Amino acid sequence: MNALAAADVGALLELVPVQRAGLALLVAAVGLPVIGVVIVGLDIMPVRFAMMHVALLGIALGLLTGLDPMLCALVACALAGAGVAPLARTPSGLSGAMGLLMSLAIAAALLVLAVSGVNAAGAFALLWGSILSVGTADLWVLTALAVAVPGLFWWRRRDIALLLHDRELAQSSGVRVERLTLLLLVLVAVAVAGAIKLTGALLVDALTLLPALAARRLGRSLLSITAWAVGIGVVVNLTGFFVALRHDLPPGPVLVLIAGVVVLAVHLIPERRIRSWRVPASASLPSSH
Amino acid sequence: MGGLDVRMSGVVCRHGRVDAVRDVDLQVAAGQRVALTGTNGSGKTTLLRAVLGLHRPAGGEILVDGRAPRGAAGWAERRRVCAWIPQKPATGRFPLPAGELLASGGDRAAAGRAAARLGVGDLADRPLHTLSGGQLQRMYLARAVGCVAAGAGVLLADEPTAALDFSGQEEAAGVLLALPVTVVVVTHDRALADRCDRVLEMAAGRLREVR
Repeated sequence: MNALAAADVGALLELVPVQRAGLALLVAAVGLPVIGVVIVGLDIMPVRFAMMHVALLGIALGLLTGLDPMLCALVACALAGAGVAPLARTPSGLSGAMGLLMSLAIAAALLVLAVSGVNAAGAFALLWGSILSVGTADLWVLTALAVAVPGLFWWRRRDIALLLHDRELAQSSGVRVERLTLLLLVLVAVAVAGAIKLTGALLVDALTLLPALAARRLGRSLLSITAWAVGIGVVVNLTGFFVALRHDLPPGPVLVLIAGVVVLAVHLIPERRIRSWRVPASASLPSSH
Repeated sequence: MGGLDVRMSGVVCRHGRVDAVRDVDLQVAAGQRVALTGTNGSGKTTLLRAVLGLHRPAGGEILVDGRAPRGAAGWAERRRVCAWIPQKPATGRFPLPAGELLASGGDRAAAGRAAARLGVGDLADRPLHTLSGGQLQRMYLARAVGCVAAGAGVLLADEPTAALDFSGQEEAAGVLLALPVTVVVVTHDRALADRCDRVLEMAAGRLREVR
């Protein structure tokens, strides 16, 4: 039975769509968890919900106009991300506006779908994703994110670390916070749109947020948290992909569940255990609390 | 004595409909040390934040070295020349190693030396949220020393000794007042206020000279 199933996975891996799906997940594991670090760091969780809805609106517009739906989703998200940047001064200012944007986007999407006479089920299939339909264009978007996002993090690590720690400290340290926030929000928006094919809009969190949530507990600086997030992302994505193939399950939910288990497991590990994995110099320091 | 002069005229700041700062005029000469006292909620912190553009005044003008900031670049320059010690140093939403806080002032070496003098030099590897309130305040003070070394001409310190024990307060006041810059310090610490050149009191958004 096991040998048969293993052979099945081997045979499946020879199929081009399966190979492409695996590659997409691997590439996504480099870029998307870093986006999750931004979402956790800026405390802008509502933004990604809103972006999923905006992506759906973009897809609906694509179906109406005959343009590539994914491209429309990317552009719509990028514009929405840039549009909400001025509200990012306080997380509370952002979450209210996100509720509004979410409702408006989904209402507009439904209206456009109705007007265009497209079978709405086609658009809503994107909520659940279809990893085997990942195309070359999707792969390019994910690859671009995998290069650009960690690259930006390395290049601007001082500014981003200060901004994610405290906006006003960053401001008073000469960081152009408005510009950097805008750039990060556009990247978040584009990444959410780009990840939709992999797990579906509803489960984008598996690839972005969950690795970052686990990583925040393990790392103690921006760089170490980012590295942990990418590492966890790669392990989760590859494990999830093979489990899904092996047992013929939908990959999206399997990825979310595995990532969720990792987050829970990391939070169950006692703090003193984690400390011993970190830089040894800090563990030996006396505390004068 | 170095430092830059600070001039405020008719400054008004609002929090919603509440007037936090009312029609404040203040001239601080270069290198002068001014203590700003007053009850909680009298507008001291808002006034300090207005100098940095963290709170946009509803009226009036604040000049540092005779200049009013214009545009994002102008405000960036204002924040470079005015070092700031926030009232409640943020422990932050995201871990930041203390060393990166020290470096953010612009002169890591000078900030590191100040941190060592203030007894927190060996905590540079620790994330800020694991420090005690007093250690955090010393780190911010050390960062401000780094800002001054990197060219800041004004130090705006908002209750910089509030979380410190008595000997720490004295030590911090020594570091603060030895800096060759203009100092405006919000404080409830009598000893610190007594060591300043001028003492001002704020009440219900208005400013008056005490000595």
